[in-house]
Amino acid sequence: MTTETSSATFVDSRSLRLATFYVGDMLLGLEIDQVQEINRCLDVTTVPHAPNWVRGVINLRGDVVTVIDLRTVLGLERGTVTKDSRNLIVNLSGELVGLCVDRIADIITVAKDDVIPPPSNISVVDQKFFSGVATIEQDIVAVLNLNEALETSN
Amino acid sequence: MAIEDEELLAEFIVESNEHLADIENELLAIEEAGASIDVDLVNKVFRGVHSIKGAAGFLGLTTIKELAHSLENVLNKVRSQELVPDAENTTVMLRAGDTLRVLINDATNSNGTDVSDQIADLSRVLEAAEAGGNTAQSAAAPTPSAAEVEAPTPEPIAPQAAEATPPPAPVPAEVVSRPAQAPTAAEPATTKTSSSPAVESSIRVSVGVLDQLMNLAGELVLSRNQLMQAVISQERMGLEAAAADLDQVTSSLQEAIMQTRMQPIGSVFGKFPRIVRDLSSQLGKQCKIEIEGKDVEVDKTIIEAIGDPLTHLIRNSVDHGVESPEVRASRKKNPEGTVWLRAFHQAGKVCIEIQDDGAGIDPAKLKSKAVDRGLITADRIEQMSDREAVRLIFHPGFSTAEKVSDVSGRGVGMDVVRTNIEKLGGSVDVDSDVGVGTNIRVTLPLTLAIIPSMILKCSGDRFALPQANIAELVRLRPGEVSSRIDRVKDAEVLRLRGALLPLVRLDTALGMAPTDRADINSPMNIIVVETGQVRYGLIVDGIHDSEEIVVKPLGMHLKTSNCLAGATILGNGRVALILDAAGIAAESGVQLAHEANEQEESLNQGNETNSVQTLLLFSSDPADRFAVPMGVIARIERVRCDQIDTVGGQELLQYRGTTLPLVAVDAHLKVNPRPKLDRIYVIVFTLGEREVGLVAPQLEDICEIVCAIDDQTFREPGVAGSMVIDERVTRLLDVFELAEVTHPQWFAEAREEHAPEEGDAPKRILLAEDSSFFRRQVAGFFKNEGFETYEYEDGAEAWQALTTGGVEVDIVVSDIEMPNMDGFELCQNIRHNSALQHLPCVALTSLSSEADINHGKEVGFDDYQVKMHRENLIRSVRSLLAAAGEPKKAKPRRKLVQAGS
Repeated sequence: MTTETSSATFVDSRSLRLATFYVGDMLLGLEIDQVQEINRCLDVTTVPHAPNWVRGVINLRGDVVTVIDLRTVLGLERGTVTKDSRNLIVNLSGELVGLCVDRIADIITVAKDDVIPPPSNISVVDQKFFSGVATIEQDIVAVLNLNEALETSN
Repeated sequence: MAIEDEELLAEFIVESNEHLADIENELLAIEEAGASIDVDLVNKVFRGVHSIKGAAGFLGLTTIKELAHSLENVLNKVRSQELVPDAENTTVMLRAGDTLRVLINDATNSNGTDVSDQIADLSRVLEAAEAGGNTAQSAAAPTPSAAEVEAPTPEPIAPQAAEATPPPAPVPAEVVSRPAQAPTAAEPATTKTSSSPAVESSIRVSVGVLDQLMNLAGELVLSRNQLMQAVISQERMGLEAAAADLDQVTSSLQEAIMQTRMQPIGSVFGKFPRIVRDLSSQLGKQCKIEIEGKDVEVDKTIIEAIGDPLTHLIRNSVDHGVESPEVRASRKKNPEGTVWLRAFHQAGKVCIEIQDDGAGIDPAKLKSKAVDRGLITADRIEQMSDREAVRLIFHPGFSTAEKVSDVSGRGVGMDVVRTNIEKLGGSVDVDSDVGVGTNIRVTLPLTLAIIPSMILKCSGDRFALPQANIAELVRLRPGEVSSRIDRVKDAEVLRLRGALLPLVRLDTALGMAPTDRADINSPMNIIVVETGQVRYGLIVDGIHDSEEIVVKPLGMHLKTSNCLAGATILGNGRVALILDAAGIAAESGVQLAHEANEQEESLNQGNETNSVQTLLLFSSDPADRFAVPMGVIARIERVRCDQIDTVGGQELLQYRGTTLPLVAVDAHLKVNPRPKLDRIYVIVFTLGEREVGLVAPQLEDICEIVCAIDDQTFREPGVAGSMVIDERVTRLLDVFELAEVTHPQWFAEAREEHAPEEGDAPKRILLAEDSSFFRRQVAGFFKNEGFETYEYEDGAEAWQALTTGGVEVDIVVSDIEMPNMDGFELCQNIRHNSALQHLPCVALTSLSSEADINHGKEVGFDDYQVKMHRENLIRSVRSLLAAAGEPKKAKPRRKLVQAGS
């Protein structure tokens, strides 16, 4: 049900626009339609009894939004908030969720054909987090599969 | 499929649901009317079904059309008086209505559904009507009610299933905002208030309210502009004015928006007549339901949430409460049972009562069952009052029906109901008389969206705790901590007025880093929390202010914690989490056992406290210490002295937008003037409709003393007596007398109102009280008000005077704890004496506990009052006398008014 037609970007159906960001050394990408806005990681209220990959909650203009520590989700150690850290506010099946990432990179356009399945040397557990990998000039971008990564049961 | 326009379809669904919303009750009304048909009513149903048929045909929904057509045919026969509605054909019509609703809510797939059975049923009814055509009217001879008894529906009632799982409403929310351009003969005006429960995602708002909202939005924009301008010009005055404006507009806006969410509770009640009808015929009972208060408005969220618990309670009443007709007849009751469903506002809350005139709940049976199942120890049971025992039905694992039926009762019932209602911030209580009936009362807040809460601090974060859960706040000074807090095994307990209260450390319960407790010199803050099931003390790091908070849900990743009820946004923009008091108790293992334990203690303690007074001590000058009985205090406020103005010699406190008149000891009694302080405490008490503040420069302590009060030495107006506490002379204040000294006009008004009519003999009061101090005090109150009093030192004396001494009185006011014969016994004796049982009785106590009040009610006290609360006591006596003076009606149980503490 993605609303490709409603997006204001004039991207033909064969390419993807990705918002890219770093988590640790990894360059990750999210389809730009999924990202509502990008904020600084400020004033996070910690929530007792929350899973360890939840940093807490923030006030997003009157809505209480859960902030998820993407590093912990991907099996890295929880990092500290620096001046580069950002919150990606994404829409996850109707609910706004914040993703805390280490650094924001560019917005890039890749051809859909250039997105290949994740290489098999990524462990099976991690594979489900990614819907594919795209190569750009010197780097590769792993495209995040949001629903899998933030599946409440993990 | 001929459906091309989705919007048209959605509109059809909304509209058809509106037509169907009332169809059930209307059909039931038609059935009840029997042969004397209300043509208007039938026409209304007919038109609704007809509209559905028309629209369905237009949209190509052939199955719906056919079913609607068959139903229409039957209704047509009813309309033309060729068919007399009875239980059987009404059932067929009701089922057709149910099926229509299911089909309509899943309209796109409706054409694939097979409804030939239903249509066949309907045509059978039709044929029967046609066959018996001319004779139908004469065949109506058996009255409808008789038909109902003889013809309980042969098959288990199918619609029950449809009832239990309401079909999902696949209606997009935006649809309804479009004006309903009906291709039908709908009457929007009449359906306005009855929003159909199936379409929950939309709400109808009157144009008036919308206009008001629009106005307020305009105001808001103006205020913003003013504010911006003031900020730019940095003008302090302008800023203040703009802020005040904004404050006002925000409050009005909030009110108006809440108004849009308010819905009449009738939309939930609407389905109950059908449920009661189906259920009673299924169970072979005769039962009717009477509904009052359909127009009571409550928040939409509550409407949505109470449907299931209420359904459960209603079913219980029909299934377990009302007896079968034979049993009822043998007990000389009307074979037809009644269930009353009432909604009304009370004290800013909504009360819903479900009452039946059935068998009632036998406390003895419950008790034995509770012991059998090991829910409660035999010792505990013995101490349990009948009223408490009846409350056992809310215990997990209890079903009162001897036989488990399909309808209700598999032992998972009432406790779930209670949990659900408590989740809504409400409470549920039960009252039952064996053989007479049961009354279940559900109390709910008007809205869930905004709740008054206390903001507290723990491990550096702020949390909100709903005020409904807070019983009191206790602050322990560093020196007291070790003496007031004990350990029982691993658990900490607080000694609170002789009882032990389990303690929970909030930081531990939440699994947060404990605050540094090395600093033993800091005071300890404890919030005494009550959840209906448990009562415990919550240790927090600090207590801020009370605030009205807006509840926001937590995201799906955070649903795991029991301890949290949601989140809110504080004034500083940060998120604060809302604590769930019951969840914390469960998480920390504070168990119901504690409650039992505590109640026992409070019972035991109750025996002592009646001769013990709980006093609040405060001092003005170091030399002058005063005491006020806790019972008369409404609350205590801490205020800045610059909030106090003096107008015409009268001190007034500016406070919460109004002014509070103050009385001060130094102004009216022989004491040194009070020292100049920045902040002082004000003890607030109520005087009739008024609130009055007593200036208490410094609070000292709360203590319990056994009265050894000297009422001579320091006696002056406003001072009841004196005593020595901790080697210091302390004067016990009579705040009402003090207020009378300063403001005689307040009392003059009240007296005039109650002045006895010319020629009326003064009312006579019997007063039993063992402490001479209190006896004189209380008798003094009464004499001042023009009553005549007879005083006795204990229950036995009073009883003797009443029975053999020839003393005649109009009302009895008695202490509880007395030698020879206590107040409970005295009251019991009065109730069992045919000559005296009509006498109103008021119990006097120092500080009433729930357990005492309940016991008091059982033995027959009409009211409970705090000894030193003159105002309430006199008001209570007056109202009881007035009630007794009226001609006796078939009076319901007298409501017990809780003492105004």
